[in-house]
Amino acid sequence: MNKTADRIAAVAFLAVGALFMVESLRISKSAYGSAVGPNVFPFLLGLVLVLLSIKLLFETRNYSGATGEKLPRQYKKFLVIFIAAIFYAALLETVGYVITTFLFLVIGFQTMEKGALWKSIAIAAGFSLGVYGLYVKLLQGTLPSWPIWFQ
Amino acid sequence: MSTLSFLFDGFQTALQPHNLLFAFIGVLIGTAVGVLPGIGPMSGVALLIPVTASMTSGLSPEQAAASSIILLAGVYYGAMYGGSTTSILLNTPGESSSVVTTLDGYQMARQGRAGAALAIAAIGSFVAGIVSLIGLVLLAEPLSNVALKFGPAEYFSLMLLGLAAVSGLAGKSMTKAWIMTVFGLLLSTIGLDNVSGVARFTYNISYLYGGLEFLTVAVGLFALGEVFRAILHRETNEGEIAKIGRILPTKSDLKESAGPIARGSLLGFFIGVLPGAGATLASFFSYILEKKISKHPEKFGQGTIAGVAAPESANNGASGGAMIPLLTLGIPGSGTTAILMGALIMYNVQPGPLLFDEHPAVAWGLIASMFIGNVMLLILNMPLVKLFAKIIQTPTKYLLPLIIAISVFGVYAVQVTTFDVFLLLAFGLLGYWLAEHDYPLAPLVLGLVLGPMIENNMRRALTASNGDYLVFVEKPISLVLLVIALLWIAVPFFMKLRGKTVIVNEDM
Repeated sequence: MNKTADRIAAVAFLAVGALFMVESLRISKSAYGSAVGPNVFPFLLGLVLVLLSIKLLFETRNYSGATGEKLPRQYKKFLVIFIAAIFYAALLETVGYVITTFLFLVIGFQTMEKGALWKSIAIAAGFSLGVYGLYVKLLQGTLPSWPIWFQ
Repeated sequence: MSTLSFLFDGFQTALQPHNLLFAFIGVLIGTAVGVLPGIGPMSGVALLIPVTASMTSGLSPEQAAASSIILLAGVYYGAMYGGSTTSILLNTPGESSSVVTTLDGYQMARQGRAGAALAIAAIGSFVAGIVSLIGLVLLAEPLSNVALKFGPAEYFSLMLLGLAAVSGLAGKSMTKAWIMTVFGLLLSTIGLDNVSGVARFTYNISYLYGGLEFLTVAVGLFALGEVFRAILHRETNEGEIAKIGRILPTKSDLKESAGPIARGSLLGFFIGVLPGAGATLASFFSYILEKKISKHPEKFGQGTIAGVAAPESANNGASGGAMIPLLTLGIPGSGTTAILMGALIMYNVQPGPLLFDEHPAVAWGLIASMFIGNVMLLILNMPLVKLFAKIIQTPTKYLLPLIIAISVFGVYAVQVTTFDVFLLLAFGLLGYWLAEHDYPLAPLVLGLVLGPMIENNMRRALTASNGDYLVFVEKPISLVLLVIALLWIAVPFFMKLRGKTVIVNEDM
């Protein structure tokens, strides 16, 4: 068990619980046809979450200090893919599904492992066009098609 | 007799050509999901909800619900089948319920008996699937009749019991499991209040009025969380794959494993019915049981066929048993059934005692399709096992970005807002971080699904009693349920205090 991580989590959940309690005080207390207003349930849950977080905070005192050895993490690859995913989401509606998906997949494949660019491009193109064709043309679903300045 | 005629109607639903196709696709994808390390049954089912939603969009609501639940349930038990393949061939369990299978399965593979091990796993799973289905057919009507007599107070207590059972058994720390449960319940209060129509915690963000979409949260936590972990930890699926060899088991193999399969199926089924105790616990218990009653306990761990047959039957029996509380009481006992329940609610089908009256086509169609799906799996798995073994070698380089793309597509296709795609990425990060630090995710999803129902029943009970909170302990059934819930939490707690180890379900 990781002491620091659990302390951060405990404080964070404590804050969340407290926030829900405070905010539920602002919700109207009465409801027509119901003896209990919409504020009661979240308030009680917030209280329970606060109490549990305090319990977790106390439990972290008993953790042994020794933490397992750190394994190497591929932060760089992860960050590149995650940021690419954020751009993917942000540009999805303006640039359209096919182009953004294609670009995201090529970046993703190449970040995971460099090389075999043509294979990456082929798989990415196949997936983005395939999903678009199947979903929009065949199943009549809705996806942003092409860049808005194209239409 | 009425049960039989309903079952007959169910078969008529399940045998419609498109439903046969859905069941086939479901078990096929499910087997692939089980074979692929890194994607468990939970993320597999979550990922496929939006896909099925678009596939069934042309059907009437009732038919759409029946067809998609047939597909999703196919994924669920298909994954149980597939999980054994990697355990035996690679010594890497595809999901946690087949961890025990590696003990003897991989040893058998090293002795050149991989084919027999795979075949016996498939046969055991098939028998267990049928046993649990018979149990489901027999228990469904009586249980839902009992549940129909429940009022809001009893329902509230029953759901608390469900939450207590899952949280009490999930993960290493009970405090953490409870934090996740309560956090899930809190998240479920975001949005318009069902009773009064008051907006809660929405801060005038229009996307939040409908509440956090269950699908977005589940796909983010499970599918993206696992992908992020696989990228960060450089998980690859390289490794020597054992030769499969002769597939048909010999007569002595069959004779040796008949007993373990029968015991494993029954044990698995009953463990599966209990909320909180899932397929992983079932496979552990059945392995321990076989070892205890065996005449040659020293053979276990060295490649005895009983050590494969028992846990594989048990985990399939448990996944069938877990459908009972979901369908009859409307209370999911595990993470995967919680996701199935979320899918049903998306189609406006409320699982629970009324399901058999209001949507007989969905309930009985599902039960009948599980019969058919099990037959399909047996036929699929025996000749195609070599093909599925090939799937293991799918390079993660392509697999991981594709899972992200499928998740984004799924969420966008159902919600049609980029807000949910951002939410998906955020929950992916959260899911990775929480799972990494031993916070179990299944209770969170369970809380999110059950939250609105718990709150509604609590408020209805309190309204009927004019705000008197004692109503929950004054009704006898409600009191009994609450006491059981309390015991469920208290007993492991005291056992831990006395220094005993409590077996927990780590996956759920």
